[in-house]
Amino acid sequence: MKIRRIQDTLIRAFAALIVVALLLLGTLSYYYLHKILIQNAEETTTQLVSQLNRIIENYIRYMDDIALMAVSNEDVRAFIDNPRSDTPRLRDKIESTFESIRAVRRDIDSVFVITRDGRAIAATTGGALNPTVELKKRFLELEAGVVPDRPSVSSAHVENLVDYRYPWVISLVRTLPAGPAGESLGLIQVDLNYEIIARLCKDVQLGESGYVFILGRTGDIVYHPRQQLIYGNLKSEDIPRILSFSGGNLKTVVDGRDILYTVVSSRETGWEVVAVSYLDELFRASREAEYVFLMLSLLVLAGAVGAGVLISSRISRPIESLRRAMQAVESGNFDIDITVAARNEIYQLARDCDIAVKKVKDLIAQNREEQELKRKLELRSLQAQINPHFLYNTLDSIIWMIELGETDRAIDMTSSLARFFRIGISRGEETISVSTEIEYVQTYLEIQKQRYKDKLSYEIDFAPELHGLQILKLLIQPLVENAIYHGIKNIEGPGLIRITGERHGESMVIRISDNGVGMAPDQLVALRDGLIEPRPANGVGVRNVQERIHVYFGLEYGVSFESAPGAGTVATIRIPVMAGSTA
Amino acid sequence: MRNRSVLVLLAVALAAAVALTALYRGARLLSPVSGTPRKVVVIFKTVDFPLNPFWANVRDGVASAGQDFGIAVSVRGPAVETDVPGQIGIVREAIREKPDAIVLAAADYNLSVPTAREVKSHGIPLVCIDSFISSDDADVRIGTDSYEGGQKCAAALLRYVRPGDLVAIMSYVKGSSTAIDRESGVRNVLGGKVRLLDTLYSNGDADLAYAQAARLIGRTPDLRGVVALNDPTARGAARALDESGKGASIALIGFDNSLLVLHYVERGIIRDTVVQKPFNMGYLGVKIALELIERRRPPRFINTGSVDISRSNMFQPENQKLLFPVSEGP
Repeated sequence: MKIRRIQDTLIRAFAALIVVALLLLGTLSYYYLHKILIQNAEETTTQLVSQLNRIIENYIRYMDDIALMAVSNEDVRAFIDNPRSDTPRLRDKIESTFESIRAVRRDIDSVFVITRDGRAIAATTGGALNPTVELKKRFLELEAGVVPDRPSVSSAHVENLVDYRYPWVISLVRTLPAGPAGESLGLIQVDLNYEIIARLCKDVQLGESGYVFILGRTGDIVYHPRQQLIYGNLKSEDIPRILSFSGGNLKTVVDGRDILYTVVSSRETGWEVVAVSYLDELFRASREAEYVFLMLSLLVLAGAVGAGVLISSRISRPIESLRRAMQAVESGNFDIDITVAARNEIYQLARDCDIAVKKVKDLIAQNREEQELKRKLELRSLQAQINPHFLYNTLDSIIWMIELGETDRAIDMTSSLARFFRIGISRGEETISVSTEIEYVQTYLEIQKQRYKDKLSYEIDFAPELHGLQILKLLIQPLVENAIYHGIKNIEGPGLIRITGERHGESMVIRISDNGVGMAPDQLVALRDGLIEPRPANGVGVRNVQERIHVYFGLEYGVSFESAPGAGTVATIRIPVMAGSTA
Repeated sequence: MRNRSVLVLLAVALAAAVALTALYRGARLLSPVSGTPRKVVVIFKTVDFPLNPFWANVRDGVASAGQDFGIAVSVRGPAVETDVPGQIGIVREAIREKPDAIVLAAADYNLSVPTAREVKSHGIPLVCIDSFISSDDADVRIGTDSYEGGQKCAAALLRYVRPGDLVAIMSYVKGSSTAIDRESGVRNVLGGKVRLLDTLYSNGDADLAYAQAARLIGRTPDLRGVVALNDPTARGAARALDESGKGASIALIGFDNSLLVLHYVERGIIRDTVVQKPFNMGYLGVKIALELIERRRPPRFINTGSVDISRSNMFQPENQKLLFPVSEGP
């Protein structure tokens, strides 16, 4: 299994989370920003265009007012109805009436009165009528486009009614009410300077290159800032779609650019005022926002990764140091303090680990001490066997026997000594069978008996069931030695040493009792103390026995003494039952 | 571990810095508003616009394109068309300003070649409009196909004359490239169908054209058609024809569209005039210059086309704008 560091996992998770969040946020805000931008553009453009439309309609209404005024003017009526009243005086009067209007309103280029019979009056700059224009024909052409009693508004066109002048104008035409013959005899044409409309449209700012154009009723172009380009096929507008559209906003693609048409229809003129906004320009405003958002996103991402690094290192650093500490422990170094710089569960974990390691360390130390002690004690118990006095005395006895010619006894004693040492050294094992231990004690007592003759007698009485069990070796002999040297040796009569062994439940109780001098209470206390602390006065053997029992079996086992002066001494060994080994 | 997190932080900071710089630069490149706009110098034959509506119309096209494509256009030129050294000086000055492109209406077919070469040697894209040069130094030429224009004049004339009729060609500057091309276009169509008199040259002078035409009309009773190959020549010829009272028997075909020429068209003295599209020349001149700046590959020659205008179609909506331009400069 691949091990992944917590820190990496955390940073990865942080980054992924932030990236997903930012992507989501970015997409959403991009979407809504564009939606809002288009909505705003639609609203403001609709307002602008509606306003423009109202202004244009005002102009048209104003032109119509002039036309209406002319229609109801008595002089004009007289001029139209009666060719005989067509005098220079009347013409001058009518012309001056129109001229006074033109003088006030510069945007009115000309006012014409044209009659069915081909007469005309022109109130205009320049004055002379264009001789090439056939007025009768012109009257019929204009009349064809007019509904009686309603004004008709033309597209922008070049007016050629005046000689040597070709002004661009928008014309409003009204026919006079029909005469007795059932047809109108004359019409009024009011020409509005096209520059006015062009300037109004041009003044509408729509982004950098957006613009306004106007379509006539039939889709003809009333005004377009790039009219020549359209005629030259260098530019196009989706006129059929605009015409089929009843006003409002329309997104489409023209000449490879995404555009927004905002269309307002004029009821007065029948025109469609169309605003063209380029979407890429609309969204240019959002580009800045996108830029700021991207910058912020990167900062947030960097911050998140940074925070991820910090937070995860805060979490994983203590874990890492704990892991290292445990690795050190694994490789055997217990001499470390496990502490981590954190105030959380990891701190507690580290503290628990520290305690556990310290305990293990103590146990190991304890174990090692015990082992050492055991080895020392064993060595000492060996030393105890090789009690030099015992050896000298025995050897002295053997020499004496040989000198006295008691060869058989000498031989017995020597062989006993040999057996004694053989068991004592006994193959370096810690435990031996109870029977071997008994044999060992017997051998010892036999040797001593050679020395003390009838002054020493002994009895050994072990429950038969005990013989097969194991026992820590050389436990009994030191106590027997003690009984001989401190008990029996100092009495007058024959001494008796009794060694008994019994099983009490899971314990084995061995008693070594003598009928020696016994001990005064203070001696007894000294002896007991001597079991704990080394005293030169006591035989090393007894203390060794006690210590070994403690080391091997614990403090609840051991050797105890009971004695009174003249009443002998009883030493009791208490050890746990050890099943016989197969060896 | 501490080292690693420091490294990660550093890497993130570095990446962020690089990305931000790239974004910033990208945003600057993307937005024409914040960057300095492309600069294109446009040099005309003349900038006396009231007297030269043709060039006023070219200027309107230039200005419109500048607005549409976000280009800073600067229109210059000598006061009079014949000032060839004056235009050469203006081109040299423009080169010093290191524009992104130069659009040039060459004052002279041959004399303008060295300056055009200078423009190219400075690595500035060069677009020639209306009037070209004899070398191929211009990256793109935009203008009326003069040969085709001549053919249209001849085709118009053939509607009024019968085969074998006597016809005169009145040209303007002998050796001028457009004059040669227009004349050969005319000859291409008329050749073998009518009898052609020797070509007359007015030097673009309406008065000289008037005198030539008056003499021609007076001396040649069976003259049935005249093709006048530029605007002043057409004006002069029209005046002579008008005064001679033979407008009904002699068909005069003109070129270009001054108000005077149009007035003669309206009166029927000039039967047809072939008009060019100066607005489109100016517009396309700037548009193509931008394509050159952006290292796209526009065609080497763009024909802006010409239209045969007569009394019957001169007030049609699609021709009104062409004939009676309204200044649309910003």
